[in-house]
Order: sequence, then structure tokens, then C-alpha cells
Amino acid sequence: MPARAQKILIVDDEPQIRILLKATLGRAGYIVVEAANAREALSAKAIDKPDVVLLDLGLPDRDGLELVELLRGDPRSALIVVSARDQTEQKVAALDLGADDYVTKPFDTEELLARVRASLRQRLASETERQVVVAGAITIDLLERAVRRNGNEVHVTPKEWNLLAELAKHPGRVLTHETLLRSVWGPAQVGQTEYLRVAIRSLRQKVEVEPSQPRLIVNEPGVGYRLMPNEP
Amino acid sequence: MTEIDVTRADTSIATRIQAYAGATAMVAVSTLVGLWIAPRWGTAPVDMIYLPSVLAAAALWGLGPAVVAGIAAALAYNFFFTAPIHTFQMDRVTDVVTVAVLLIVALVTSKLAAGIRSQARIAEAHAARNATIGGFAGKLLSLSREAEIAEAACTELHRLFDCNAILVSGLPEPRMIAAVPAGNRLTPSDVAAAALTLESGERAGRGTNRSQPAEWVFSPVRSSAAVIAAAGLARDDGHIPVDDEQLPLLENLLDQLALALERVRAEADVREVSSLRERDRLRSALLSSVGHDLRTPLTAIIGAAAELRCDDSNGPALVATLETEAGKLERYISNLLDMARIEAGAVKLRTEPVDLVDAVAAALKDLRTTLAERRVEVELPSDLHLVRADPQLLHHSLINLIDNASRHSQPNGAICISGTNAKGEVRLTIEDEGPGLPQETERPLDTFMRIEGSDRKGGTGLGLAIVKAFTEAMGAKVTAANRDGERGSVFTIRFPQLLVIEPMESADAG
Repeated sequence: MPARAQKILIVDDEPQIRILLKATLGRAGYIVVEAANAREALSAKAIDKPDVVLLDLGLPDRDGLELVELLRGDPRSALIVVSARDQTEQKVAALDLGADDYVTKPFDTEELLARVRASLRQRLASETERQVVVAGAITIDLLERAVRRNGNEVHVTPKEWNLLAELAKHPGRVLTHETLLRSVWGPAQVGQTEYLRVAIRSLRQKVEVEPSQPRLIVNEPGVGYRLMPNEP
Repeated sequence: MTEIDVTRADTSIATRIQAYAGATAMVAVSTLVGLWIAPRWGTAPVDMIYLPSVLAAAALWGLGPAVVAGIAAALAYNFFFTAPIHTFQMDRVTDVVTVAVLLIVALVTSKLAAGIRSQARIAEAHAARNATIGGFAGKLLSLSREAEIAEAACTELHRLFDCNAILVSGLPEPRMIAAVPAGNRLTPSDVAAAALTLESGERAGRGTNRSQPAEWVFSPVRSSAAVIAAAGLARDDGHIPVDDEQLPLLENLLDQLALALERVRAEADVREVSSLRERDRLRSALLSSVGHDLRTPLTAIIGAAAELRCDDSNGPALVATLETEAGKLERYISNLLDMARIEAGAVKLRTEPVDLVDAVAAALKDLRTTLAERRVEVELPSDLHLVRADPQLLHHSLINLIDNASRHSQPNGAICISGTNAKGEVRLTIEDEGPGLPQETERPLDTFMRIEGSDRKGGTGLGLAIVKAFTEAMGAKVTAANRDGERGSVFTIRFPQLLVIEPMESADAG
């Protein structure tokens, strides 16, 4: 637990959900601020300066994606979108608009906390912590451009390294297919999901204990990939 | 198919001249024979000599040449063999009789022969026409789509009548549904003629007394109830494409076409009715499942919560019940929503290359609470091909199949998920060690497999119906079978070759 308690703004029009989230996040040591609609959310954002905003996309007074545009891009606060199941397109749109991550309703409490931790992690981590990411028995050293399993170097191709590094720069956060294709293969290859699938598969052969049951590089169907770091 | 011109008798002038010349030549030969016989045995047998010539001419060439042969024979007999010789006068009654008999023989024989010949020709024509019609009907029989039938019919009409053929249907604005050769155009007066045929069921257009300015001549394609189309024929040289003799054949062919079109429409109707019936069954099964599948977990949740309030000594167990039952409710609601989308025809496909490793891992992650007490084995080879699929539809299909396998397994029973590249397709199988299915052989997944069966296992009943609808929407298939020689069932999703992505050759991915 960091020295200063982190502040989380919950934006949801359902009081039941706010009560639940307040209990869950409070128990985990966070300070919770609530907003029931977009107007309250914007003013709470300005006044309380939360470290994380948990935004439900289905608000009564404003389109959720519009609010994402207003709340994003603030390096001091991460934005996690909460949406109903099966709205893959909406999730991807929110991520493309700059949301850091998403959780799906009904959410698993542990998963929610993991997302919050991941979104806070980067901003709280020290320079060295940011440069070395540990996932399972794999260590990814972004500075030395090296992958090690239990200390032994694992050989990866340049494309595989770029892909793994991109994931490791945002440990625990989902990166959309488009984001990964754009940063690893270039803007012209954004539609080539097949490249990404093939590269992920060969990367898994090298870093996963059981490549057919991946634990480190996990897929969110229709959305993207996430590197699951070891929690400190 | 026999290719015979079935309607036109062979009547060329050259052939006719040949026949008359032949008849005359035969009489001349008979006369020469008679002249050779008469000095030796007298003239008595000579009249008999002419008989074969007349009979032969009648049998071979018909009435005209036979009469010519008869008259020529009578004249020659009279001239060469009856007294006074070398005149056309006749003294004796017997000679008159001979001449008369020769003429009568010519008439009667030729009549008989002509009758037989024309019957033979008619029989031949019938056979050829039947063969033509049969071949035409046979070609249409193998086709199952209206457009294919229209196209094939035009091709055949084009070939048989050696003219351009089109098929037109629809009122008030007739539309071309097939054309051979392709690219035929209709003038406004052709369209008017086609409309006339479609309205009245009568021929119209060129060469008829209706809409004569048209370039095409249209004939009705009639079913028992209505005129369903009009067949248009035209020749590039502007001649009338089908003469009156060929008309009955054309009509017969168009009747066959009408039958074929009616058959296809009836088949489509049957399909529609059966899909409506399936939807009705689905809807009523859905309603009856709501009662059971919503109430059971809700009862457990309400009961566990009440128990917790009174006495929390069983806390962890009751909380586990709450979680499990709520999870069931969640999945059920998700299935209800999926079903509503299927019912409303609102399933949108967003396909992309998918790694089944990802798909299986994501499904297992979502089902982790359910599968806590199951052994799950995953065998997905590293060279398993990618498939083109909708990640969400596939995700829900897999969740339902794995959930189904889990529900039918004993605690600690194994669930095996494996993938194979097989003969161009990719197969993903989900096996359980449960009681298996009440069927002998592998067969396509039945929408009502669980819904109609007993539901003691607490299945939502909708799961397999959703699997079927979603996989079929993606172009894949699901089959269900029992395990070979062992207890348990096997569900297989088959991605056909069309959906399989062969490994890339370039190193772009590396």
C-alpha cells in the first residue's frame, strides 16, 4: 500500500453499485468519491482530483463515450470504463478514445481491483520498476532489451521483442489489436490481425509454461491482449 | 439427347424429282424385261412384270411417283404388248382390265405405304420430342434455385431453337430474370409484349397478332394457378424464331419449366414454414425454461441470504452458494439476451482471424468458478490453423459447450478440449465423461436436444440452441456424438476450409 491513500472517483447512476464499489474499494484502502451522473462526475474530477476514475458508460445525462473524451488524457488520473457485457464495440471505442482499461458488468471483485492496481502502477512505479517487468518466471528488461526466464536469456525475434515490449510498457492493461498492430507493424498494417495472432502464438511458445493455456499474455475476445504482471 | 428436326418433313424438290425419275426408270426396266419375255413365252406374264415396279414405287416414294409408275406401266403395256402393238388402242377387254388393275394397285399400295411411313415419322418425331422434353426437364430437375433454372432453361431454348432466349417475370414492370446470350436488351414495345403475355397468358410480340412492333415473341410459362413468367425468343436476323409446327414443342418445354419453377417455390415455402415452426417451438421452450432456470438459482440465493442473516455459522458455504447461483443467473441472462438477438435476427457478424488458443483460454477464464471442481485438459497443437470467426459469438458458443460438458460431468470428471487440423478443416472438440447422448451416431447439433430432454442437470436449455445458431451464423457447424467406446459425449465445432487461414508464407509476422 502506498504512503498516501489513492483516491478513486466512482461514476455510476445505480446507488446499489456505488455502495458495493465503495465497500470493495474502501476495504482495499482507497478513498472513494461518488458521482451519480456526468455533471457530478466532471465537477468531482475538477475538485477531488482522483487518481482513478471508474466510469459507467450508461449514464442518464450524457453519452458515455463523450464523457470518456472529456475525462481522458489527464496524466494524473487513470480512466477505467465499466460497461455491460457484450458491448465489445463500445469497449474498443472507449479504449481508442483514450480510456486506460475496462471492466465488464457484472464484474469480479478481484479483477476490478487488479485493473485499478494496474492503472495506478505505472504512475506510482519508480523508474527502475518501470523498466523491468516480471510476469510469471519471465523478466522483461526494457532497458537492456532482454527477456529472461529464471535468469536465462530467451531468444525472441525483433518483431516479437517489439510486441512484448509494447505489452510490458503497460503491464496489466489491455492493449487493443489496433494499438498493437500500429505500434509494432506500423499504421499501414492495422487491419492485419493475422500477423498479431501469429506473433503472439510464437511469443507464447517462448514465454508461457503451457502455450496452449496461456497465463501471461491473455486475450480479451475481440478487444486485445494484456500482459499479466506479477503483483508486487 | 436425340437431335432430329422433329417437325419438318423432307420435301425438297430435288428429292421429289429423284422419286419420279426412279419410278419411271423402274417401269422402263420392267418394259425391257417384258420385251425380252414376250417373244419367247407370249405377253400373258408381262402384266405381272409391271406389278413389282408399281408396288416398289408406291412403297418407296408414296402416292405421286406410284401413280406416275402405274400410268407409265399401263401406257407401256398398252403400247408394247397389247394388240394392236405400238399403238395406244386396246382391243381386248382383258387388256383394259390389266391397265385398270395396275392403276388400282398403284393407288392402294401407295396409300398404305404412305400411311405406314407417316406413322413411322410421327412415332419418330414423338420419340425425338419426348427425348427433347425429357432432357430439358432432367436438366432443370437437378437445379434448386430459381435463377439457376431460369438460366438453364434459356440456355436450352437458345440451343434447341437456335435463337436468343430470355425469361421475364413480374408485373406491372416485367423484369428479365435470365438471358442467353447474356446482355440481351428489351425495347419498350418488347416490355409491353412481355407484360401482355404475363397478364393474359397468351403469346404476344413478333409474328403474333398482339404487339407486333416487338422484336421478341413471348410465350407464357404457366403453372396450374397463374402465369409465372414469359419466355421471349428472337433471332438476330429478324426471322420468326419458332414456326407453327414447332409451337407445340415449345409449349411442352415451357410447361416443364413451369413445373420446375413451381417445385422450387414450393420447396422455399416448405423451408419457411419449417423455420417458422422451429421458431415457435423455440419460443415456447424458452418461456417454459424461464420459469425453471430463473427460479431455481433465485430460490437458492434468497434462501442462502436469509440463512446468513439468521445464523452465519455456515457463512463460507452459503456465500459460495450465493456466488455459484448468481453466476448461473448471469449466464442464463446472457443466454436470454443472445437468444433474443437470434430471434430478432440481430446477430451481427464481426469476423477476424482468431487463434483458438485465445478463444478457449478466454472461455475457461470466464467459467473458472464453474470449473473449480473439474479437471480440464486442453490439447491445442502449436500448428493449429487460425480460423476466421466472430470472437464474441465464438466466446459464447464455447462457454455454452464447456458449461454443458461441466454440468454433465461428475466432480473431478475430466473435460477435454482439443483442436486438430483435419483435411483442410479445423475441428475443436469438447469431450466430457458424463452419461452421453441418447443417440447412436454423430449428427448435427439439434436445437432441442436439451430443451426437450429432462432438465434435471439444471441446464439452461438454451445453451445448445445458441451454440447452433452462433456457429452456423459464422459458417461453421457443430456435431454431437458419443465418445468411442467410452462414456461421455463429444461436441465438435467444425470450421470448414473456407474459414481456415493457412499459415502465412512471408516472415511479416516474425
